[in-house]
Amino acid sequence: MSFSVEERGNPNSLSYRLFFKNAEGKYISPFHDIPMYADEGQNIFHMVVEVPRWTNAKMEIATKDLLNPIKQDVKKGKLRYVANVFPHKGYIWNYGAIPQTWEDPAHKDGDTGCCGDNDPIDVCEIGSKVCSRGEVIKVKVLGILAMIDEGETDWKVIAINVDDPEASEFNNIGDVRRLKPGYLEATVEWFRRYKVPDGKPENQFAFNEEFKDKDFAIEVIKSTHNFWKALISQKASAGELNCKNTCVSAGDSPFCCSADEATAAVGETCPCGKEDPVPSSVDKWFYYERK
Amino acid sequence: MSALMLRSSVRCLVTVFGTFSASSRKVIAQAAAVSHQCYFRKTMHYQTEQRGHQNSPDYRLYFKTSDGKYISPFHDIPLIAETEQENDVPAKKSKKSESEVLYNMVVEVPRWSNAKMEIAIKEPLNPIKQDEKKGKLRYVANIFPHKGYIWNYGALPQTWEDPGQKDKETNCCGDNDPIDVCDIGTQVCSTGQVIQVKVLGILAMIDEGEMDWKVIAINAEDPDAKNLNNIEDVRKNRPGHLEATVEWFRKYKVPDGKPENKFGFNGEFKDKDFAVEIIKSTHEHWRALVQKQKNTGGIDCKNTLCCDSPWRCTTDEAREVVQSAPAFGSAHPVSPEVEKWHFV
Repeated sequence: MSFSVEERGNPNSLSYRLFFKNAEGKYISPFHDIPMYADEGQNIFHMVVEVPRWTNAKMEIATKDLLNPIKQDVKKGKLRYVANVFPHKGYIWNYGAIPQTWEDPAHKDGDTGCCGDNDPIDVCEIGSKVCSRGEVIKVKVLGILAMIDEGETDWKVIAINVDDPEASEFNNIGDVRRLKPGYLEATVEWFRRYKVPDGKPENQFAFNEEFKDKDFAIEVIKSTHNFWKALISQKASAGELNCKNTCVSAGDSPFCCSADEATAAVGETCPCGKEDPVPSSVDKWFYYERK
Repeated sequence: MSALMLRSSVRCLVTVFGTFSASSRKVIAQAAAVSHQCYFRKTMHYQTEQRGHQNSPDYRLYFKTSDGKYISPFHDIPLIAETEQENDVPAKKSKKSESEVLYNMVVEVPRWSNAKMEIAIKEPLNPIKQDEKKGKLRYVANIFPHKGYIWNYGALPQTWEDPGQKDKETNCCGDNDPIDVCDIGTQVCSTGQVIQVKVLGILAMIDEGEMDWKVIAINAEDPDAKNLNNIEDVRKNRPGHLEATVEWFRKYKVPDGKPENKFGFNGEFKDKDFAVEIIKSTHEHWRALVQKQKNTGGIDCKNTLCCDSPWRCTTDEAREVVQSAPAFGSAHPVSPEVEKWHFV
């Protein structure tokens, strides 16, 4: 199964959109049309890469837009770039989402005590390669962190690209601790502090900030998959989410999107143009006292 | 990437001549007297010219003045940047204390990048090029949690760590290069950019048995520059950065199979005054180098502006050097190995 992307608009600008296509060249939604499992028997999942490691632009699957392209998040009318919190530069993993999952805001999570953040479940991919925006990769799940971001449940799956040269050595969270010492601690610190330069408080975590293991992670992912299934079959309220898709819903479903409709959605965006420069303020390094 | 227009914050005394008032006539006389000091150029705008292909062994970055004359970034850029003057205050009468002295820094490696770019001390006109080891282009490893270099990294022009001189504290000889600088300012600079920096302190690194001082400095245009005047200010204002600097230098060659580096003074940073003394002595070693008839250590001392140097060449000769370099072309790709994060 292979996927490709089509860039529209100018990178680092409000017009930028990244649309997805399947192997046949049909427009698809990266939220709904890419199967969650790459290999169910082996527990290999698909991951849609939103933010390449070491970059700052906060790119996200646009859950409220038709065909859910990737676009840059906007806050207070400005393009959002995540701060560099010393000693880190941008994101410290390839960051993205598992398709066909959803953290339901109407559901209070038993472990965190908080409602879901209305998004697909997030993944931090720890392999060597810096992936591209929009790349769809296959990952082995290794563990999970229970973050509470601004009062909402926001699980962070820890995973590794199956194509990573060392992938066979990584089978559970303990292997990450052993083979990449400091990486998990840095991950907690990063999530704790990343919004502080924007004036937000430090984030919190359930389970005393501990990472849960692979089996626990897979159960959480499965439950967010069930929430998504309820969403796509209209058993759960979509709210502002756009559930249109080209591969999953039957022809008579209101969520079924025709090829023409998809083409029209892409056509409404600006043709692909030159990249805008990243503002130099994005290079600032924020320092905090170590606690 | 087209040729960069580089600007320094130094005012050119020559450009003050707008009117013919009595005060400006005084400045003209002053500038005329100063212009005989060939080491201190008043025109401080530098440009660079790319040759060859980035990420390939043929890449060269040559330097020239704003009027297109090729220079050596090693020998022809003054160590001390002239501080800003009021238009009608002659240089002699300004109260210039040690703490206001700014140094020129030639940026070789932008923060967060990996390509080991260096002033080519053994090539005529000393362009910047990428270092090679064992026939392969050198990219510095990413040592977790760091990504590439953690400061803008470069050199102070007109300095030289003499391999014939043994340092008293460490008993090590100089590494045959200009003295290295780490700029902790927020802006990510470009390779070949010439910036003015305030010196804040210095670290005595011993790299593979050779003395390799690391000056800690800040871009004078940084918003924090006025608050940072010595190494203690850096400790308070940038918590963790000095410790990270020692760790980085200690470990950065380990992924290449080299041992951890060592330091003089127990790895402690010495303060600004100490740093200034070290810089002064490397400046004197450089002066002796360019004034000597005999070629030392394979270094190319060709220059266009050092009056007392037997190696001074004409602008035409300098142009010939650059024109014989390969034409500029598109960059070569970088191997994905460079992205690897090393846990050491």
